[in-house]
Amino acid sequence: MRKLLSTLLLSLVVVSAQAAVVEDTVYINNGLFTTVDSNTLPYTAFNSSSTFDQQNTQLFIGVGDSLYLTIINTDTQPHGVDITNTTGYTTTVGAGATTTLACQFNQTGIYILHDHLNYPDMAYFGLSTPIVVDNFAGSIFSWNIKEHQLSFNDSIQNNGTVNWSTYYPEYFTINGNSNPAINADPLAKVTGNVGDTLRICVTNTGQSIHSIHFHGYHLRIVFSSKDAAHVDREKDTFSVYPMESLILELIPDKTGEYPVHDHNLVAVTGGGIYPNGMFLTMIIQ
Amino acid sequence: MRYVLVTILTLSLTNGVAQIDASELLIARNTGTKTLADGNAIPVMGFAQTIMENPAIPGPTLEFYEGDSVEIDLWNFSQGAPHTVHLHGLDVDQQNDGVPHLSFEVYHMDHGFYYFKAPHAGTYLYHCHVVSSVHVQAGMYGLLIVHPSDGSQTTWNGGYDYDNSMSLLMSEIDTTWHSDSVMLHTYDTSLMVNYVAVPEYKPQFYLVNGLSDQQIADSSMQLNTSAGAVNYLRLANIGFKGCRVILPSTFGTQIIDSDGRPFPNIEYSDTVLIFPGERYGVLGTLNYEGNENITIEYFDMNTGILENTQYVPIVSSGFVGLNSSNNSNGLLTVQPNPFNQNTTLHIQSENMNEVIINIFDIRGQLVLSEKLTDNIGDELLYEIDGTLLHSGIYLAEVLIDQKERLSQKIIRY
Repeated sequence: MRKLLSTLLLSLVVVSAQAAVVEDTVYINNGLFTTVDSNTLPYTAFNSSSTFDQQNTQLFIGVGDSLYLTIINTDTQPHGVDITNTTGYTTTVGAGATTTLACQFNQTGIYILHDHLNYPDMAYFGLSTPIVVDNFAGSIFSWNIKEHQLSFNDSIQNNGTVNWSTYYPEYFTINGNSNPAINADPLAKVTGNVGDTLRICVTNTGQSIHSIHFHGYHLRIVFSSKDAAHVDREKDTFSVYPMESLILELIPDKTGEYPVHDHNLVAVTGGGIYPNGMFLTMIIQ
Repeated sequence: MRYVLVTILTLSLTNGVAQIDASELLIARNTGTKTLADGNAIPVMGFAQTIMENPAIPGPTLEFYEGDSVEIDLWNFSQGAPHTVHLHGLDVDQQNDGVPHLSFEVYHMDHGFYYFKAPHAGTYLYHCHVVSSVHVQAGMYGLLIVHPSDGSQTTWNGGYDYDNSMSLLMSEIDTTWHSDSVMLHTYDTSLMVNYVAVPEYKPQFYLVNGLSDQQIADSSMQLNTSAGAVNYLRLANIGFKGCRVILPSTFGTQIIDSDGRPFPNIEYSDTVLIFPGERYGVLGTLNYEGNENITIEYFDMNTGILENTQYVPIVSSGFVGLNSSNNSNGLLTVQPNPFNQNTTLHIQSENMNEVIINIFDIRGQLVLSEKLTDNIGDELLYEIDGTLLHSGIYLAEVLIDQKERLSQKIIRY
């Protein structure tokens, strides 16, 4: 997914000693999202191939890296392309067309690649995924947290309108999965050892506010897209607003298996069934 | 087998292997009732501390001191699903975390024991973690407060002094979730995970410390304070909605901690947003006598729509600590206080050689400091130029010969 160009090209775009040039390609694919209870809902995702996958691909680059991102739209309708908390990267890509973005991120953080057309409908509909910018050398986990309402997806798929003031999602996912499948996703499942420094990137690409509670540990906020003043706060429960993100740092002090879940306990359900929602465990050896 | 093992552990701990500093009994009941603001009573689950007691919502507030070795005895008195105690935010080990399939659950007429060392002073929660969506909504939750280890009336060891404190725990009730079809859910103890159906969540009652609307007015729930008193509010949310707590603009609200940890930097805002599972600590002072309100707005986390507003009264009566401060050796008197133009510190102590006078603002920032030396004697008059201070509350600190400290709250109006 991440391709380094030649050393010569690298030398032309050096921002810092470690800065690299990264080429990547994402596909905009329309398909069917399968819920924890085997319902299906129409969905559009950023994927790493032309095959639809309800788990959006996520991008990881270093601070100062130059990202050349090719976006191939396999859908039958045009889409917008934009990146949160940046300027100058807004464009559109027609049905069946390709576009390229050249971008650079000079600060640690999470920037959300998303479809800004008919906002927030298409971003909610699946076209939103984190670009994680971090030079951290240890284990990084990343959660694209989201919720889904069947009738809204049906309406958006059919170019209808949705009334966000009536939003009551039935499904709650991390990287496209609900409990227990979240635990099989190595990008989501936090594993480590006592004394390790682990980073967990939390990106809310849904339209609800989520309140994520960690058992067993307090974590330090390394980055907050919503309020930089929150950096260095140590908490066990973190609110994440729509299209906002956090980077959290965890240094486990004891072994064990500890849950993480949304403490809006409705979001721990899926299709009205507990505990088929936003729930996973961390395993510390 | 589980019960036997736990009992052996208890005996070993109480026979000198490890000392228990504090012990609490929580009786889990599925047969409580709660009277709502409309006068109707609904079935609830909850925690009580005596058998005769109807389990209240919220459950009893558990209070410990930092560093305490704590034992909580959970006695499940009711038939039906088992129960646990999750010690929310206390960072206990897996065995004591109260998550059924990762530790243990407590069945009808069994006891389960939880052990932990009380962590940083602060505000925490406890709740049942069995089918938590249902059991929390049913009422199985409460506050857990850890005080500083020295027993001082400070926010934490070395933290802020305060004169009054109050805890506000927000939640909601959807009476549909209190029907038998939800509360008496099936539970197969042979399964690692039990799948339980829940209805849509559309609460009709929005609670502060278990009360709403007229119930608050009819109760004694209010912040009783005095002009100039420092108030410490512990705010927590165990519901499924967002809460916006709005303090009076004249309260000088400082948000100083969350989830049992001090903030690295104070946040100055009269509005505190609290989402499910979060806790915040705020300091504030009214500089006058009178009545105000704490406004609590409940909003939906999917739509942002405001659903309900509750009000908790603040009653400020009298002035606090405006006369003098003394200890066995010295005396500090401030006249006039409150003041506008000038005020004088009258300091008395034996054979003073060095006196340092510091003036701190309510944020703890040093705004004035002066060192006086050369055989001062037994008495010192020190005038403060009020024009150097903005109106507000300050702390005058007097350090005598590096061994004696006097302090006095002063108000510049």
